[in-house]
Amino acid sequence: MQLMPENIQTFPSTTLSLTAQRATPLDDLESVVALYQPRVFRFLLATLHDRDAAETLTQETFLRAWAARDRFREDCSIATWLIRIALNLARDHTRTGRFRFWKRSSISNVDVAEVAASLPSREGSVESRLIAQQQVALIWETVAGLSERQRAIFLLRFLEEMDIPDIATVTGLPLSTVKSHLYRALGVIRTRHNSTLRNPASKETL
Amino acid sequence: MTPQPVLEPRIAGDIRLGNTYPGIAHLTTHLTAEQMTELLAGPAGAAEAGDLRRMRSPGQDGDAGSASASDPEQNAAFAEAHLLTCARCAAELAGLREGLSLFRQASIAYADSELRRRPQWTLPGRSILRPALEPAYWVAAAAMLLTALFPLQVLRQHGLGSPPAVATSLADHPAESQSDEALLADVNREVSASVPAPMQALADPTGDVSSVSVQTSPETSDPRKD
Repeated sequence: MQLMPENIQTFPSTTLSLTAQRATPLDDLESVVALYQPRVFRFLLATLHDRDAAETLTQETFLRAWAARDRFREDCSIATWLIRIALNLARDHTRTGRFRFWKRSSISNVDVAEVAASLPSREGSVESRLIAQQQVALIWETVAGLSERQRAIFLLRFLEEMDIPDIATVTGLPLSTVKSHLYRALGVIRTRHNSTLRNPASKETL
Repeated sequence: MTPQPVLEPRIAGDIRLGNTYPGIAHLTTHLTAEQMTELLAGPAGAAEAGDLRRMRSPGQDGDAGSASASDPEQNAAFAEAHLLTCARCAAELAGLREGLSLFRQASIAYADSELRRRPQWTLPGRSILRPALEPAYWVAAAAMLLTALFPLQVLRQHGLGSPPAVATSLADHPAESQSDEALLADVNREVSASVPAPMQALADPTGDVSSVSVQTSPETSDPRKD
């Protein structure tokens, strides 16, 4: 089971013992959690669509990061490091049969209507607000139907607003592969968006 | 008569290529799906759009070779210029961007509200969290240990020095010493006497009766007690 980022160097035990006392940005776990917990949690929530699983894996992400803090070389940001761990954990989690079983009936599954209703209040008519909620629901549902990689890359780009090179670092994929998945995901969303505009009745099926 | 160029749809649906004929693109055609996704993906995606085109298989979206030879920056410039003149493409792009923005806002708001509803985590103690401060914790622990042991050491020292202190106090008070010696002498005299004082009456049965009655106490009147 791959739990840690792939490009983390492993050191001989002697070297590790020498570097064990090196101060790292992750030593202050309280501050790191306070700063990055919302981000990690929302990424996992949008990836898994399961609140309990998202919380469990968020905790696991920070524990793993703290346990491996001596290997954090600061060649990427803490956020990138944490998201990478979270993505690996989510990948492992979704590949288990237990996840697939509970996914069907879990009470902690995210309700799309709840997500759409969480949209911050905006000025405008009730109708425009309803249209906005329908757009959110449409994209949320479409993202859920994407492949695992497309979904992860789409969320990293449009939820976490990461740059393409950072997404490549997080996913461990080449830039061209990242862009390919991103473009395909956007193509699916655009197609769905346009078809909904042409045929508004299809919104009712969401 | 010069033949006119034929502008045919190059992709499925009603969206036609815009950059195949750069000079008239903004007049007659719309952005391709690829151009639209490039614009959606943002500058990081559009900057290296040429790499993606070369990577994608020919025939996909029906626009093979149409833009592979063009400069990505030039292509992006054409797309931006097209958006200025084509309300349809501009509206579609704006709608998609709006939807993506709403998706992000709603996801963040929902996740934050969900996080607030959940109990806070209990993190490990700071002694575990801050290994850099471990020496300070060791010093504090040593200080606490010394503080606990100091009273014991004082008591121990006090206990060992007590006999000399008693001897000194006796030497410093000769009057008390003399009285104690007198008391001891009385005790010795009483012990060395042949008949103890309470039994003097029994020792001389022919003695004065009155004296016997005077010395008799309720405790000694009962012969069974003797």
